Amino acid sequence: MNIYLPIAEMSESVLVLLGMGAAVGFLSGLFGVGGGFLITPLLIFTGVPAPVAVGTSTAQLVASSISGALAQYNRNNVDIKLGSVLLGGGLVGTLIGVEIVRILRQAGQFDVFLALCYVLFLGVIGTLMFIESVQTVWKSRLGAAPLSRRPGAHNWVHGLPLKMRFHRSKLYISAIPPLLIGAFVGFLAAIMGVGGGFVMVPALIYLLRVPTNVVVGTSLFQTVFVAAAATILHAGTISSVDLVLAAILMVGGVIGAQFGASAGSQLKGEQLRLLLAGIVLLVCLRLGWDLVVTPAELYSLARAAGAS
Amino acid sequence: MMMRRAALVLMTLWIVAAGAAEPVNAGEGAVVAQATKKPKPRPAAPQPPPLQPTAQERVEADVSTRTIAITSGYSGAEILVFGAIENSRQPSAESGFYDVAVVIEGAPEPLMVRKKGRVAGLWVNTSTFNFNAVPSYYAVASTRPLEEFADAALLEENALGLEAVRMSAAADSAVRVSSEDLVAFKDAVRRLKQSADLFKRADYGVIFTGRSLFRATISLPATVPVGPLTARVFLFHEGQLLSKYQARVVLEREGIERWLYAFAFERPFLYGIVAVLLALITGLAASAVFRRRGT
Repeated sequence: MNIYLPIAEMSESVLVLLGMGAAVGFLSGLFGVGGGFLITPLLIFTGVPAPVAVGTSTAQLVASSISGALAQYNRNNVDIKLGSVLLGGGLVGTLIGVEIVRILRQAGQFDVFLALCYVLFLGVIGTLMFIESVQTVWKSRLGAAPLSRRPGAHNWVHGLPLKMRFHRSKLYISAIPPLLIGAFVGFLAAIMGVGGGFVMVPALIYLLRVPTNVVVGTSLFQTVFVAAAATILHAGTISSVDLVLAAILMVGGVIGAQFGASAGSQLKGEQLRLLLAGIVLLVCLRLGWDLVVTPAELYSLARAAGAS
Repeated sequence: MMMRRAALVLMTLWIVAAGAAEPVNAGEGAVVAQATKKPKPRPAAPQPPPLQPTAQERVEADVSTRTIAITSGYSGAEILVFGAIENSRQPSAESGFYDVAVVIEGAPEPLMVRKKGRVAGLWVNTSTFNFNAVPSYYAVASTRPLEEFADAALLEENALGLEAVRMSAAADSAVRVSSEDLVAFKDAVRRLKQSADLFKRADYGVIFTGRSLFRATISLPATVPVGPLTARVFLFHEGQLLSKYQARVVLEREGIERWLYAFAFERPFLYGIVAVLLALITGLAASAVFRRRGT
C-alpha cells in the first residue's frame, strides 16, 4: 500500500517506510545510538529530497531520544547544568546549521555537501570504532584488562577562563569547551539530521572528563532539545519536515528499538561495536561511491527555488 | 483512496457508456453523433451551409475527471480524454482518414537544470541553467507518430510533441551559454522528465471507436506537481490542422494531505512545533507501552 508524502511530494510504500524505521530503530536499540546517521542516507537512497530527509530525520530524532533521556533522568544520570550549557551552544549551532542548509540548497550544492559530510563523519567514526573494537576483541582474547580512565588528569581544557562548577559531574571547568562542543553537535544535527551522540559522548569523556555514568544521560538530554529546535527551524525556514513520513518512521522506529534493545543484551559489547563499525563503513562507502564514480546522468532538475 | 476509487468507477462507467454507444454508432453514425452530443449550434451559425458533405469538421472533447484529488492513497491517476468529430467524413473507425493528437500539459513553472562536473575527483554540480517556464508535465498521444501526419513547423507552432514543448530560458542564463549548450540543457530536461514519466508520448495512444468518436487514456504519475492541467485536442487530415479544442483538469490536494501542505507552508513554525509535540508523544507513549509490557 502506497502513501503520498505531502512535503517530499512522492508516493512510497508504507511497508517499506515502516520497515526502514523499524530496521534503524532495531539498530539504534541494539547499539544505543540515535540512528539519525542511518535514517538520513536511507531516505536519500529512497529518493526523498536531501533537505526533507534531514528535516524529517530531526523530528524522528526527538521521538527516539526522549524516552531514553527520561529514563536517564529518572535514574539521576543527567547533569542538568552541564546539559543546559551544552544546549545553549547547541541552539546557536543549530541556527547556523539551518541557515547553511538554506543557502546551500539555494545554490544547489546541498546534496553534494551532505554526502561529503556523511562520508567524512561516517568514515572517521567507522574507522575509529573498527580499530578500537578490533583492539578490544584482540586484548580480551589475550586476557588483558581494558584501559581505564584517569579521572584526576588535567589537560589544556582546564586552563580556560569562565569557570563554572558542575556538581553532578563533579567538575570545575570553563564553560567555553561545553559551549563549543554543544554548538558543533547542534550544527551537525541541523545539517545532517543526526543526534551527534557519536561526537558528544567521546568529547564529554575525553575532553571534559565527565564521569561516564552521567555522559549518556546528559548527551541525550541535549539531543532532545537540539533535535526539537532543529525540527522547528527546519520546518519554519525551509518547510522541510514531512509529518506523514516522520510519523511512519517514528512508529517503525520505536517498535524496532524495543526488539533491538533486547537483542543487544544478548551480544557482547565489543562484537556490537565491530558490527556497528561495519554498518557505518558500508553506508559511508555507498555514499562515497556516488561522489567518485562517473554518474550515468550528468544533469539534474530542481524546482527553481532561487528564481522566486 | 476513496476518491481514487470513485474516479476509477466514473471512468469505467464512461467506458461502458462509450462501448454501449459504439455498435449503434457503427450502423447509424450520423444519428448517434447527433444524439450523444449536445444540440449543435450549427443551424444558428449563419455562414457555413448546414449538413453539406464538405461541411467543416470540428472536434469537441472532454476529460473523464475534471478534478483529481491527491489524498494519502494517491499513487497517480488516469485521465481519459474522449471526443467526437462533427461532420465526420470518415467511413469507419479503422479508415485512418483523420489523425487526432491529444496533449495534456501541466502549468509552466520555473525550472533549474544543473550539470555535474568533476572537481578534485568528486562529481559536484558545476553549472546551472534557469528556465522561466517549462510545463511541469507534458503527455502527448496521437493516432500515429506525429511526424507522419504533420510537418515540423505546424508541430512547433502548436507546441505539439516533445520536441516542440515550450521551454523559455531565463534571460540571465540564456546570455551565458552557447547555443549548443542551450540545446544540451533542453535535451537534458526532455530526457530527465521522460525518465521521471513527466514527459511522454504515446504514438498510437488515440483510438477511434467509431466514425466520429475517439478516446485516449493518459496516466499521470504521482510526481506530477499539483496545479491546473490543460487538455488540448487537435484534428488533422492530410497534414492540415482542421480544428482544435481545449479543456481543463485540476490536480488538487485533498483531505489531510491538503491540510498538512497548507499548514507546512502557511504556518511553518507552528507546524514545526506540532511536529516536535507529535514526536515527544510518540516517543513517550512507546516507552510507556513497552515498559508496562516488559514488567
